[in-house]
Amino acid sequence: MIATAHRGWDQARRVRSLPRARLRRLATHAVLVVVGFLWVYPFLWALASSLKSQAGFIDEGLSIIPRELQWLNYSDAWNGASFGTYFLNTVLITAFTVVLTLLFTSMAGYALARTSFPGKRVLLAVIVVTFFLPRGYTIVPVYDVVQHLGLLNTLWSVILVQVASGMVFNTFLFMGYFTTVAKEIEEAARADGASFNQTFWYVMLPLARPMLATLGLFTFINSWNDFFTPLVFTLGQPQLRTLSVGLYAFISQTSTNWTALCAGSIISLAPIILVFVFAQRHIVDAIAGAVKG
Amino acid sequence: MEASSDLPPREAGGFAGSPRKGRPAAARRSRASVWHRVRSNRWSYVYLAPFLALVVVFTIYPLFASLGYTLYQWNGVGDPTQYVGLQNFARIVRDSIFWQAFGHTLVYTVVLVPVQLALALTLALVLNDRRLRFSTFYRAVYFIPAVTSAAIVGVVFQLMLSNFGDSFSQVLVRLHLVQHRIDWLGDPHAVLWIVIAIGIWNTLGYNLVYFLAGLQTIPAELYEAARIDGAGAAGRFRHVTVPGLREVGLIILFLAVLGSLQVFDLVQVLTGGGPYYASEVVNTYIYHQAFGAGSFGGGGGAAAQPNVGFASAASFFYGLLLLVITGLQALAWGWMGRRRTRAVG
Repeated sequence: MIATAHRGWDQARRVRSLPRARLRRLATHAVLVVVGFLWVYPFLWALASSLKSQAGFIDEGLSIIPRELQWLNYSDAWNGASFGTYFLNTVLITAFTVVLTLLFTSMAGYALARTSFPGKRVLLAVIVVTFFLPRGYTIVPVYDVVQHLGLLNTLWSVILVQVASGMVFNTFLFMGYFTTVAKEIEEAARADGASFNQTFWYVMLPLARPMLATLGLFTFINSWNDFFTPLVFTLGQPQLRTLSVGLYAFISQTSTNWTALCAGSIISLAPIILVFVFAQRHIVDAIAGAVKG
Repeated sequence: MEASSDLPPREAGGFAGSPRKGRPAAARRSRASVWHRVRSNRWSYVYLAPFLALVVVFTIYPLFASLGYTLYQWNGVGDPTQYVGLQNFARIVRDSIFWQAFGHTLVYTVVLVPVQLALALTLALVLNDRRLRFSTFYRAVYFIPAVTSAAIVGVVFQLMLSNFGDSFSQVLVRLHLVQHRIDWLGDPHAVLWIVIAIGIWNTLGYNLVYFLAGLQTIPAELYEAARIDGAGAAGRFRHVTVPGLREVGLIILFLAVLGSLQVFDLVQVLTGGGPYYASEVVNTYIYHQAFGAGSFGGGGGAAAQPNVGFASAASFFYGLLLLVITGLQALAWGWMGRRRTRAVG
């Protein structure tokens, strides 16, 4: 009742101050739109510049509406500057990284959450310790390992290192998730004669779909955007470069084909933006959940 | 975490096998039961195998191996042979470029974190208003730089600054905002500040989302109550929002500090640490030591010869410094917490 009274009071106040409140909200929108426009301006400019002619790039300056559309820049970037190859490399690396990360960490998380095998406590302790150890500059020994495995100058080196880097964190999350699933579900499956494998693949994994989606999204974004790992492992192999490394190499080579460089940036950015637009709510909720929980 | 170990001991086998009973000797029984539990849980080990293999090979082994490298003078080719003891550490402590890079990293962190968090919090407070329309759209707009790779950010900003930076700085001169034209990424005095500004823009989105999540945990009734008690907007912020955000805020601060102290990608793609080491941070310094000038885009900060031993020592040393900084942070929080309880109680 008190709440209702307050609401009434609040409404009365709102009605009285309507013009002022509306003005203030309009001002808020104006500021948000102007600042937001400036905020994404670099992207809009890159998109526009990727369609400008070489001369237009200089003349039209910071304009974000190209005078004439030069679609040729994209074929310049795709074929001439090898962004087609880089794109394919990035797709392969990202796809394998996402699938292997989800597979390995969900399996490990399930085993840790649902069975009590000898050695589990020790294993958990080791995992916790490695989680908090300072991540020093281990790239050199990792490079060494890759070399000894004979994987240097292959896409597998980048995939394995990326998959390994997500192991502990994602396994923890899967473990937490599987722990919350009701035991009865599993017991029912077992009573129906399902084996360990069948229970995991046909019962537990489908239940973990939200978790798979969230971690899959993040692994995708991290892998696609990763710069350091592919940089180190493709130093001697230009044809193995990913989009990130390709862009960086392109600008370091003091190339003057700026419009093609912009086209390359847009080629690298487009998949991320597409995924982001479709999964925005999911991504933001997951990030928010990480800090709230 | 412990939930599953509270289960009754499952010697009977998770999924297969039958309980073996009636062994006379207790010792034999326990050994046999361990073996039996291992066997009946064999699928658990299979499921853990890829995880274990990757963690051991790519996380645990490298941690120890890099410790070993710190004692050698080694260019990364072949096996390390030239043992130098603790000389690498002695050299780092005396290396002015390392300390310069450390100073830049501290400046980067000390400037970026407060500015970025203040901006993110302001924006979060504006967007948190439930009556504000399109707030999801605004959130997406301000978040986009956070999902953009450092390589793209580096390329786009370099192109914009190198082509139009000059005309922009002329405008600033004419407005008497600065005295001389700015060479943006080429000016040793300006470069670090430009990198910081771009850094603020790049990762603000994450903190915005964190703060929004934190704000949503504060019950609306608290604001109502404060309003009835006659608190203005400032009073509500001070007495409801700030205490409500304290816990989430500490996590956000911790993540922001740690992330800034470990900045690498953005600096490497924007400047490579140059010009003349003016934007060299610790992680680019270590990278240049480890891979030398032969790595493309070395910028101004590349060492002539790769020195893996030295780089490993530098990274280990920096890891220790980070631990100390993290520890101090935790101590400061503890102190603040004690002071608060004293003030309240």
